[in-house]
Amino acid sequence: MAVAIAERLSATGQVNALELRGVTKYFGALAALSDVTLSVRPGERRAILGSNGAGKTTLLNCITGDFLPTSGTIRFFGEDITYFPAHERIRRGLRRTYQISLLFGGLSVLDNVYLACLGVSRGRFSLLRPRRDDPLLESARALVHAVHLDEVADKKVAELAHGQQRQLELALALAGAPRFLLLDEPAAGLSPAERAELVAILNGLPAHIGYVIIEHDMDVALRVVESVTLMHEGRIFKEGTPAEIEADPEVQELYLGHGHGA
Amino acid sequence: MARVGLGSATAEGDRNRLAVWIEHHPLAAVVLAAAIVFLLWLVFADWPEEFERWAGRKRVFVSALLNGITLGGLYFLVAAGFSLIFGLMRNVNLAHGSLYLFGGYLGYATVQATGSWLPAFLVAFVLVALAGLLLQVLVFRHMEGEELRQTLVTIGLSIVFADLMLWVWGGDFYQIPTPDWLAGPVELPIVLDVRPNGEAVYLRYPRVRLVIFAASVVLGLLLWLIVNKTRIGTLIRAGVDDREMLAASAVPVQLLFALVFAFGAGLAGMAGVVGGTFQSLSPGEDTRFLLASLVVVIVGGMGSIPGAALGALLIGLAEQFGSVYLPTYAIVFSFLIMVLVLAFRPQGLLSLR
Amino acid sequence: MAAAPVAEAAAPGSAPRTSAAGGIPTSGWILALVLLLMPTFASDFFLVQVFGWAFVLGTIALSLQFLAGYGGMVSLVQMTVAGFAGYMVAILGTSGLAQISLGWPFWLAVPTAIALAVLFGTLSGALAVRTAGIYTIMITLAIAAAFFYFTRQNETVFGGFLGFNGVRAPVFWGIDWRAPVPFYYLCLAWAAIAWGLVVWVVRAPFGLALQGIRDNPRRMAALGFDVTAHRIAAYAFAAFLAAPAGILLTWLNGQIAPGTVGIGPVIDVLVIAVIGGLGRPIGPFVGALLYVLLRIFAMDLLVALGLSGQRFQLVIGLGFLLTVLFSPDGILGLWERHIRPRLAGERGGGR
Repeated sequence: MAVAIAERLSATGQVNALELRGVTKYFGALAALSDVTLSVRPGERRAILGSNGAGKTTLLNCITGDFLPTSGTIRFFGEDITYFPAHERIRRGLRRTYQISLLFGGLSVLDNVYLACLGVSRGRFSLLRPRRDDPLLESARALVHAVHLDEVADKKVAELAHGQQRQLELALALAGAPRFLLLDEPAAGLSPAERAELVAILNGLPAHIGYVIIEHDMDVALRVVESVTLMHEGRIFKEGTPAEIEADPEVQELYLGHGHGA
Repeated sequence: MARVGLGSATAEGDRNRLAVWIEHHPLAAVVLAAAIVFLLWLVFADWPEEFERWAGRKRVFVSALLNGITLGGLYFLVAAGFSLIFGLMRNVNLAHGSLYLFGGYLGYATVQATGSWLPAFLVAFVLVALAGLLLQVLVFRHMEGEELRQTLVTIGLSIVFADLMLWVWGGDFYQIPTPDWLAGPVELPIVLDVRPNGEAVYLRYPRVRLVIFAASVVLGLLLWLIVNKTRIGTLIRAGVDDREMLAASAVPVQLLFALVFAFGAGLAGMAGVVGGTFQSLSPGEDTRFLLASLVVVIVGGMGSIPGAALGALLIGLAEQFGSVYLPTYAIVFSFLIMVLVLAFRPQGLLSLR
Repeated sequence: MAAAPVAEAAAPGSAPRTSAAGGIPTSGWILALVLLLMPTFASDFFLVQVFGWAFVLGTIALSLQFLAGYGGMVSLVQMTVAGFAGYMVAILGTSGLAQISLGWPFWLAVPTAIALAVLFGTLSGALAVRTAGIYTIMITLAIAAAFFYFTRQNETVFGGFLGFNGVRAPVFWGIDWRAPVPFYYLCLAWAAIAWGLVVWVVRAPFGLALQGIRDNPRRMAALGFDVTAHRIAAYAFAAFLAAPAGILLTWLNGQIAPGTVGIGPVIDVLVIAVIGGLGRPIGPFVGALLYVLLRIFAMDLLVALGLSGQRFQLVIGLGFLLTVLFSPDGILGLWERHIRPRLAGERGGGR
């Protein structure tokens, strides 16, 4: 009963960008996710923290449709997308980046971004080659600029530095008209300078684009979000603001170890 | 990644799965049970005349049924090795049909030389297994993980083998003679007709086909037991599910691969002797049995022994009933089964994915 | 993923911006000129039985190359699609089997046949893409075999074992298209158009997306691409290349029979594409010319080597095997890696 009312509310009034209810995922007998319920407002920026194996990436995979959850529902701006194919979710404005860069190494930076723009455009099946002033190419160039990669736009992706590839991942996720991003450890393997760059890029995103970020580096994570969810063994066990989480002794004990600033 | 099921770990697990399946699909279970009862009636009852007028003579139906089942046994022998090799090594051996035909020719030569039937199986098994071993060691070991290349190589090999066999054995048809102790028909307790004087007419069916079918059932059960109950079977299943784990354990992986490949090839060679006795051997039979294996494993599920058995049975029946009742469209039946499986369960009927 | 990239040598779709300026190298112009002027010096036999046949087979193999090289899907159903188109022309148009053929005029029969064949190819593709990777070969082979056996068994529509004879190219615009020179140009034209279409499409958004899907389907889905729809569309496009070639093949032979769509020819198309090279659209034509020359002159060659002239399949099989084992990117790859650098080196050294 209560669920039905809540569903009706979320369908009409204040719609959450992301609304997960009782999402559970089994791999064989192993529960990777147990009864995960989570809501994120439009424009909200949220970090999901937790140790390895806490189920963070599985959660992202369920949201993007890489896996189907065993049970539970996933709503995106009020729409039930639990069983949508991946590409349908993307066309509704959901985007993600991958922990391990999944880029097209043989193509140039600009072509990678062009593909991403094409994927959410109507010209996916076009047999006509783009002209020099093709709007998709224009937006691809703008995105390359937005993630500070102008100088290497024509380089093959395989030749890029690791940090630049992470930035390109982000550009792919920003193609089209994203409403919500899922960022899977965008800072992994970055140098301190590159991390600063990443923080600048994330904080420079338009305010209406919310995101969920999985990140091990607390310095990055807590500086780019307004709320934090903690996961442990496939369950959510704490939510709060970055300040609360940072101050929480239990969290200190569990995840931050001795002095997270190290 | 495709997960390949080689059957469940225990018989109890099987029973539970059946119970769960019935619970989840009550309607399908009822329909299936009714179909089984109807089939039993069809086989054992004395058909009423009304029914016989509509459905044709019972003799035709029962023969098609038995022919289909025994043909399924033959298909199973060929496809089991194909499926096993794919399941463990992800190796699509499109030269599998060549191994079948090679075994058949070897069996024929053995029967010609020794005058007896059983040694043909031994010779075919051993020599074709050896050929398989050579293939694995000389070719596939050097192309680990290159699935497409392996497939192309096996296509090339099958072209070469086909021509070599044509060179040696020519384009003639060979039939391996049935040994005396298996020749002739056997009377089955299936009533075809009741004469006006009350005397029942029983079905007479070639003894050799029944014996070979029984042998393939025994072989299938044995295979299933080996895969599910023995240490080497555990290794094979581990390899199918998780190759990295297999590589990390202290198992001599290459030896295991070579053994399974040789065994699968040997099975195909033995099947060649069976096929040569059942039907006949000639150029083109290699392709026919390769295709049958493909369809069988696509339908049954790659790498699954029970799947190969179910697929072989379905395809054997489809072919026989097709050729009896709708000869023009016989091939369409097997194909339709494949299309339906691909449409609704692309991983195959008995795959655990 | 299960499927290894088919042709590592395949140039990943080059940038949409840079392609426009590409231009055709001098050797390309010379080749075009030679092909166009061929009828002035070649015999009728060479025009039709060598080059006509090679263009037709090359185009069918090109449709396989497109799917395999750019889509990562090795489809064995392309010869079947071509044969299907040939059958449709025989059934809808005129043939020696008057009781089956409907006798439609060619301008109606040919486009209808092509449309039906594209439909057939698309449906086959829809079936094949239900599973990915190595399964594609098996499923398409099974489809091809089913069609072959079906045509052999079916008398009422497909004419059974003997098929249709007397299927001829039409006469229009005052030209007899079955005469050697016009027929040569017909085959050349479709081969050139098909080649051009592939070259164009692989650099268009659709082709670029297809190559992205070949390399990383999961990522493409995460960029909003409907992977399945793109794959099926690729089958449709490939069928559109193969279908007219199948009609030309039927006109060339004057007949269509189950033997045309048998397992042998189906595998031969794969052999042609692989031997030529799956990396570039010109590869299948190189492979086809080689295949045709072998097919015609193998007898003499084998006898000269002291073998029976019947061992043609052995030569083809060994050639294929050697190519797959030692030069997976075909003759073109061999050329690019070994011969061209050496030639360039010698020229450079001479200066």
